[in-house]
Amino acid sequence: MTAAPLALIDRPDGAILFDTPAGRVSAAAFLAQARALAATLPAAANLVNACRDAHAVALGIAAALLRGQVSLLSGDPSPATLARLAEDYPGAAVLTDADVHAAIAGAGQAGGPMPEFAAGQPAMVVLTSGTTGRPVGTRKCWGELVARSRAAGERFVLAEDAPAQVLATVPPGHMYGLETTVLLPLHAAAAVRGERVFFPGDIGAALATLGGNAVLVTTPLHLRAALDGARPARPPGRVISATAPLDPALAARAEREWGCAVLEIFGASEVGSIASRRTVADDDWALYPGVTLALADDTPMVAAPHAATRRLADRVALSADGRRFRLLGRDTDTVKLAGRRASLAGLARLLMEIEGVRDGVFVAPDDLDRNPIARLAAIAVAPGLSAERLMEALRARVEPAFLPRPLVLVDEIPRDGLGKAPRAGLLALLAARAP
Amino acid sequence: MQAKSTGGHLTTDEQATPFELEVARLIVEQLHLETDPAAIDPVAPLFGEGLGLDSIDALEMSLAISKTYGVTLRSDDPRNKEIFASLRGLAGFIAASRAG
Repeated sequence: MTAAPLALIDRPDGAILFDTPAGRVSAAAFLAQARALAATLPAAANLVNACRDAHAVALGIAAALLRGQVSLLSGDPSPATLARLAEDYPGAAVLTDADVHAAIAGAGQAGGPMPEFAAGQPAMVVLTSGTTGRPVGTRKCWGELVARSRAAGERFVLAEDAPAQVLATVPPGHMYGLETTVLLPLHAAAAVRGERVFFPGDIGAALATLGGNAVLVTTPLHLRAALDGARPARPPGRVISATAPLDPALAARAEREWGCAVLEIFGASEVGSIASRRTVADDDWALYPGVTLALADDTPMVAAPHAATRRLADRVALSADGRRFRLLGRDTDTVKLAGRRASLAGLARLLMEIEGVRDGVFVAPDDLDRNPIARLAAIAVAPGLSAERLMEALRARVEPAFLPRPLVLVDEIPRDGLGKAPRAGLLALLAARAP
Repeated sequence: MQAKSTGGHLTTDEQATPFELEVARLIVEQLHLETDPAAIDPVAPLFGEGLGLDSIDALEMSLAISKTYGVTLRSDDPRNKEIFASLRGLAGFIAASRAG
């Protein structure tokens, strides 16, 4: 049986999808813009979507679908990432915000009949950098993306009579931002403010312009900053947080000070958003409609409509009915910072690859999962190298979030007879030199 | 055993003004940097190279500046490139916003 094709947009013609500095974009106008952009795309199998505003990212994905091209997206559209992509996907075209804005300048308000794409049509490859420095891609077909947006719309009870006004502090190329600020408005009752907000002052100013149904899509880090900043004159109706566990105390504070519900999404770049909870009320995560989780020899496997069954990196306990799960903690080598995952062993390898480094380890502080501004520490043996030179070399190999603070140079790393560096010894070494 | 701090900075002959030094102290304290505030070159980049700050630091810095000086940083400020370019740019912005 072949699945029915799925429309590019499943919203009323006049529904607002994006609220941009150039004006509000209705479903019909978005289609006209997508067609105008598609006509300008160069012939290529793959399109690197290096746009930074959500509206442009969405148009790039839509135009690529219209041309039968696959979009390549990365949470980190830095020149280094783009250069690596060019090597891995020879011949890929690159699309920027400026390209999109130039292409849609003359687009009208109506784009004709709504296009449909087969559920199995390859839509995008989402790239995560991991710790090897080489981006790793997850393929997503059109059906998987549409089904997930609809599931989110159902879970967060989004309705056309009062569409959610989405305001985000997360970048649109990261899987979480992609789902909530780029894909969601195509198939669920949400209008996304195209410009990302960052500082508490940005959030307050943007909220003042939105209606009562404002949803702040954010992370524990940004939420904490927003709460520490001046109270917004008009707080959001709802907060959605992801990328790292939200401290229940922080969630409770937001609910109290802003008078709104604070919800959390659980997901990963490979599998996308799969579950949610209200942090102050639930320890358990409730799976999205249509998403299932099963344990194969303790390894959680996620299945979802039109998606390949994929492994989840976390350890979980499943409820009896299989619809809820609880996290059992991460393996001690995996750390997550600024929404990106890395392996401590992998980071240590990168450190030891630097010429002049004889030994090196990365250490995660005890409060890494609770403190949004916690940083990794690194200890290195590198006679003849200054900490400054070493940081410079690390900066070229490691994503900014994983750069150590502090980086400590020592004569010897305390290793046991098996060559392992016990964590207690490393923490003691770090504590000994703290002010 | 010798332990050295992070926070590489380019060195020029520029001298920090007393207010720049005050802002440097605030940054070092709030971001738990291991740099001597007096050693921060007022014209060297704060982000990436130079002092090596990132977006998490930018957020922390905005809170400290708002609490200490009542000055709000905004993403859409056309002067941002200048403001975040160096300690001098940031201190100049804070001084001007406080006065205004």
